[in-house]
Amino acid sequence: MDAIISQLPTGLAIGAVLLLAALGLNFTFGQMGVINMAHGELIMTGAYTAYVLHAWIGLNPAYSLLIALPVAFTITGTLGWLLELSIIRHFYARPLDTLLLTFGIGMILQQAARDTFGAPNVDVPAPAWLTGGLTLTDGIRIHYSRLFILALTIACVIAIAHYLNRSRQGRQMRAVIHNRDLAAITGINTRKVDATTFFIGSGLAGIAGVALTLIGPTGPTLGTNYIVDAFLVVVVGGLGQLRGTVLAAFTLGILNATVEAWADASLAKLIVFATIVAFLQARPQGLFTVKTRALT
Amino acid sequence: MTTPHLNVRNLSAGYGRARVLFDIDLTVHPGTIACVMGRNGVGKTTLLNTIAGLITPTTGTITHTGTDITTLAPHQRTRRGIAYAPQGHDTFAPLTVAENLHVAHQATRRNRPDLIDAALERFPRLKPLLGRKAGLLSGGQAQQLAIARALVTDPDLLILDEPTEGIQPNIVAEIETAITDTAAQGITVLLVEQYLDVALRLADTITVIDAGRVIHTGPRTELTHRSAHALMAI
Repeated sequence: MDAIISQLPTGLAIGAVLLLAALGLNFTFGQMGVINMAHGELIMTGAYTAYVLHAWIGLNPAYSLLIALPVAFTITGTLGWLLELSIIRHFYARPLDTLLLTFGIGMILQQAARDTFGAPNVDVPAPAWLTGGLTLTDGIRIHYSRLFILALTIACVIAIAHYLNRSRQGRQMRAVIHNRDLAAITGINTRKVDATTFFIGSGLAGIAGVALTLIGPTGPTLGTNYIVDAFLVVVVGGLGQLRGTVLAAFTLGILNATVEAWADASLAKLIVFATIVAFLQARPQGLFTVKTRALT
Repeated sequence: MTTPHLNVRNLSAGYGRARVLFDIDLTVHPGTIACVMGRNGVGKTTLLNTIAGLITPTTGTITHTGTDITTLAPHQRTRRGIAYAPQGHDTFAPLTVAENLHVAHQATRRNRPDLIDAALERFPRLKPLLGRKAGLLSGGQAQQLAIARALVTDPDLLILDEPTEGIQPNIVAEIETAITDTAAQGITVLLVEQYLDVALRLADTITVIDAGRVIHTGPRTELTHRSAHALMAI
């Protein structure tokens, strides 16, 4: 138990990043069945957006992070929207094709990043107000940057929950996720909802990318490191389930951090995967599903 | 001669290579209740799905109030005034009853909140359930919600696929009343119904389909229980 408590701050920070990465994936996967392997590269694009604002445009690190968040959301959202509009929408209902297609798009984006920024990793300095940390007890200390990521994630979850439950577009998105044909004959333009969903999902990947610049260096393969874990969060949480995604992300984050505290990284990964496989054997539908009176 | 509200001509459709409908003709006049009947698996639901735009026909045309809608997307047909409550009392299970009604009403951009009030007056059983998730409703309640959801889109043509299937008798009576009241308001109704008694009570015209082809069409008065049974080989 002590090991879990001491690793809690790290686990929460990892969970927060996973959650940011998985939120967007959950919508595109849950609504359109698109296995978007390029989502990692959208995260990477968000991180490089923060780098460009600081290193190329010369914004002061004190506030460039705060400006990077909405800018990255808009840039990666637009990039995702354009990809959906021009390529991905022609492959709906062909999930394996979308997997290969988006994998290819991801490779192109990675190479574009290498050509633009070079292969070596780059650093985005954290603002001075995020240096240092908060000591909770002996041996348990949370860096301000990780607290910021946690707060940012909570803000994103609240915004998404508000969007889904309180806005007309959010209700339409939930309707399309549940039953696309029924949504269409109810008068909902499902193509438009798909495009909006891709914009928001991709935009959230951009925010995740900016958050990752506070944890480590930025490189062309930054997003690839998170994409598998993000998909695990989506599968464990349950498709289209916000509550499930939140719970799965933080559980996986804490599990990762706890196991890595006493095992090497490869063994820790193996143990985490084995735990997830065992969980999915018992509950293949994930943590949460839509409750109905139907037997299935 | 008035323009038919819905005019289906030489319609053929199916799933992939499997053809289900063959050269279907169907005319529905304004303000009437038209009933399509037939045994299980003869293509009734395929016909309604094609009219609603969920299936692309291989040949034929569909016109709505004189306008060809054969190539329109489903949501465009709904916004034109064609509302469809499909078989199996489908609802948006994760959304509440109120959200089911609002999402449908807002999708058609009519901005007439009185339509939601009117739908709830028509199905008062839904009023105390507005905050309940639709997936937790009984079959009868879900069917009433499915029809209410279609009505809040402000339709001039209401398409219902077996609205009384698997529903307890007192709610069947309420649904029948709702259908006749809807038609009395001037909304044309196209109904697929499996119960002959219900069809003979409600319909102005009856079309019988067998093996994907129309084998009878005409006023209800032309059919008796005996002749209808013979047509449907019950």
